[in-house]
Amino acid sequence: MTNAITAAGLRLAYGRTAIVDGLDLDLPGGAVTAIVGPNACGKSTLLRGLARLIAPEAGTVAVDGEDVHRMSARALARRLGLLPQQPTAPDGISVEALVRLGRYPHQKALRPWSKADQDAVESALERTGTAALRDRAVDTLSGGQRQRAWIALALAQDTPLLLLDEPTTFLDLRHQIDVLDLVADLNDGGRTVVMVLHDLGQAARYADHLVVMHEGAPAAAGPPAEVLTAELVEAVFGVACRVVPDPETGTPLVVPRASARHRAAS
Amino acid sequence: MNAIARQRRRTAILALAGLVLLAALMLTGISMGRNPVAPDKALAALFLGTGDSGDVLLIGRFRTPRVLAAVIAGAGLAVAGTLLQRVARNPLASPDVVGITGGASLGATAAMAFGLNATLTPLAALAGGLIAALVLSLLAWKRNIDPLRLVLVGLAVQAGLTAAVNLFIVRFPAELASSALRWTTGSLYGRNWTEVIIGAGAIAVATGAAFALHRRLAVLDLGDDAAGALGVRPGPARLQLLAAAVVLASLAVALTGPVGFVALAVPHLVRRVAGPPTAGTLGLSALAGAVLLLAADLVAQHVLPIDGLPVGVVTSTLGAPLLLALLARQHRSSR
Repeated sequence: MTNAITAAGLRLAYGRTAIVDGLDLDLPGGAVTAIVGPNACGKSTLLRGLARLIAPEAGTVAVDGEDVHRMSARALARRLGLLPQQPTAPDGISVEALVRLGRYPHQKALRPWSKADQDAVESALERTGTAALRDRAVDTLSGGQRQRAWIALALAQDTPLLLLDEPTTFLDLRHQIDVLDLVADLNDGGRTVVMVLHDLGQAARYADHLVVMHEGAPAAAGPPAEVLTAELVEAVFGVACRVVPDPETGTPLVVPRASARHRAAS
Repeated sequence: MNAIARQRRRTAILALAGLVLLAALMLTGISMGRNPVAPDKALAALFLGTGDSGDVLLIGRFRTPRVLAAVIAGAGLAVAGTLLQRVARNPLASPDVVGITGGASLGATAAMAFGLNATLTPLAALAGGLIAALVLSLLAWKRNIDPLRLVLVGLAVQAGLTAAVNLFIVRFPAELASSALRWTTGSLYGRNWTEVIIGAGAIAVATGAAFALHRRLAVLDLGDDAAGALGVRPGPARLQLLAAAVVLASLAVALTGPVGFVALAVPHLVRRVAGPPTAGTLGLSALAGAVLLLAADLVAQHVLPIDGLPVGVVTSTLGAPLLLALLARQHRSSR
């Protein structure tokens, strides 16, 4: 089992408006995939579709060839976890109480909280650096702390597949790097990670596989060094740019060209 | 000690205090009255059947069912209110808002209008409440139940049903109108053992279901996407929880009439003293609802100088200022 995700002929719609239509996608197992694209290109919708949060109007999503729509909700939740965009915690709930909810798909009726549950929670708190915050109310945390608490919940769920919807949005640079390093660590442990990102440079640096979405379909997919070209960025984002090697890692770095007006001013 | 253990201890202490208070109120309830009986004699009369035969009859036949009806209806209303507020994600949700009390009132009033035997009134009320809830679910269901839609549809259903009740009352002859009005205010007068035993059994089952669903509810509190990712399908889960709440509220209302504000106020009170919701605080809600309704009934019977005051008037009188304070607080915090 590699925990690869395959989508075939996928059509996802809200009401009558199809956001994603006829999408075919192969996301490699055991790798980090970043999904990028302009606003409203269907990135989050795709992620929600992969996690079965929206029922597709057509097409299938499969994990290792197994149709996710034929699994029970709980069985899927033991395979695949998702961090939604800007989730909200109930008022006053403590970090530990929040993270404990991640054990839901592993719990059985009438079976009390087990040692395995507590171990998973401790390890999730430890790995996300939230152990010291465990007694704090989630609504009193800073944005970065709160995001780590939610990632801890997804870790306590202990799934080999983890989907993250814009995990770095609203975080300062330091916390963005913390989250992305954590993602890299999780992948070292063998997890498949799929995340929606906005920063192309970070996506190229942290992902093994890059999917560029454009108007509800992948415009390109593959290793970042092959996918991220100046032509593609201009076609998808409408921004003239140069792609240069990241001085730290050699991965592609997108540098927008200065506009004429801007150049004149400087 | 960490936050979770601290909250558990607090919940346990509050539960113990609540049980002691409830026991004291129940003892007061069977002892006090126009014909007061000493508490020890009251207990002997109830459990051993000893003492003055008039006392045995008074306590066994009249006072005890009334006390028990207050306890189980209060608990049912409070648990229903807690579930409704969390499912609807709305701190002002209660059986009054989602049409259940309107349905029960219409059922009871219609039973009176068609001249059914008075013993059938609770059954008619139960049926009315359940039918109203069914209508509500059908109107609010769209693959999922959107919390806001649920409340808006509920308000509309309640408004329609209340209008129908008022129509009956206006057209009724004076005597029937007065008994219908009395019923729709909520009263514990004249409850009998059959009603109490059936009501207690059914409310216990529905409360058990609510506890069994609590883990699902806790996950649902995280929002639909997070819940879905944890393996809880929001639509069916919300429907199950709503069903438990509706059954509890309908049973309680059938027993006592639509007593106001217990379902609305208790979840907020419990939250204030016991912290964020857990299965333990759901149990506290049940206890607090029982204490509150029984205390309100004792105030109505023995403290206020008006004879035969329905308990619903007392809970509403106490509840209205609470609701206003709540709204004021919410208004301030939203600015």
